[in-house]
Amino acid sequence: MRTDTSADELQALMRGVVRRDRAAFATLYDRTAPQLFGIALRILRQREEAEDVLQEAFVAVWDRAASFDPERGSVMTWLVTVLRYRAIDRRRRRAHLEDRLGSEEDLRALTAAATDEADRGAGLAALQKCLGELEERPRSAVLLAYAYGYTHEELAQQLATPIGTVKSWVRRSLERLKRCLDG
Amino acid sequence: MNYRDPKLRDLLAGEYAMGLLPPRARARFERLMAGDAELQRRVADWQERLTPIDRTAASVSPPRRVWRAIEQGTLQRSFPVPPESSGWLQSLAFWRGFAGAAAALAAALAIYIALGPGPARTPTVLAVLADSAGTPAFIAMRTERAEEVSVVPVRTQTLQAQKSFELWAIAGGPPKPLGLVSATPDRPLLVPASAVVTAGTVLAVSLEPEGGSPTGLPTGPVLFQGKVLSE
Repeated sequence: MRTDTSADELQALMRGVVRRDRAAFATLYDRTAPQLFGIALRILRQREEAEDVLQEAFVAVWDRAASFDPERGSVMTWLVTVLRYRAIDRRRRRAHLEDRLGSEEDLRALTAAATDEADRGAGLAALQKCLGELEERPRSAVLLAYAYGYTHEELAQQLATPIGTVKSWVRRSLERLKRCLDG
Repeated sequence: MNYRDPKLRDLLAGEYAMGLLPPRARARFERLMAGDAELQRRVADWQERLTPIDRTAASVSPPRRVWRAIEQGTLQRSFPVPPESSGWLQSLAFWRGFAGAAAALAAALAIYIALGPGPARTPTVLAVLADSAGTPAFIAMRTERAEEVSVVPVRTQTLQAQKSFELWAIAGGPPKPLGLVSATPDRPLLVPASAVVTAGTVLAVSLEPEGGSPTGLPTGPVLFQGKVLSE
């Protein structure tokens, strides 16, 4: 996702990984690990766990490279997916809810970043615009769930709203985002 | 739920991509998705729509030790690994060879466990779930990703239509649901090791309505069970 690494370059590296080219694998890691580590840190908010998840994700990338389908999406999205579900799972396994919830400040920073007018690439600009059309609290629910891995229960607690309401916020927001982005 | 309703399919795909589906709904959805290219496409589309949010996370350089661990973890298998197949499947073939011979299995298991986890990435058998006659039916193994345990039948088990096998962990309190486990050996159920790995925990498989127990507790007979032996 760094602007200096093009999608084409990542595709070429990924083809190398499928051929078991270790140099390509090392370069793929160098290009993408900082962004992926940042994503894992945001979900887990604990360095050691984020390191574990990054490690697991790249071992899985090596093992399952052949299952990457360029028709389905970009290399970076695939890498994020491999990492994100692991990070979310790890977060959910923590025993104490208070270890998992982020702060109000985190939310404000995220909302600012995600609806910032500054152009950070076509994809983000479009999503920013569509997120901006949502009401504030449903938007927070979507961002907290996606960026921090909050569950419905945690969203309900953080936003002081009944869980049923939170669920329907997210569903309605997804429908609206889809219409806005695809329309 | 009517999984053919396009609107519901898309909503579930979106919630799945968000990471919002609770564990059992997620396991169900993943099973559904495995044989459904259209659903896979919907999930991929959602991932593409939402991933720009990931770009709002600040990049942070990971310490070098992470790469060293990745190198170590992958160098040992610098050959193509087809999906769904890795080291432990080979040992599964080993176990299948013993299926039906409970005594032999127990003996082999004792040796296996005595040898301990061994070098990195050797799968470790945690439990053998047997039927009331003592015939082994499922095994639980620590996978190469050590924080996961894989539960899989030693051979295809008979399962009536509109029924599911559900796995439970019993450790003193009420049984804890761990997910639906396939009747065929090709789809291992992966459960977090933290839910399973305590010596003395009993793993049990009950017969439930399709999709799992509606109550969160076993509603059908426990068909197979086994004790977690050791780490």
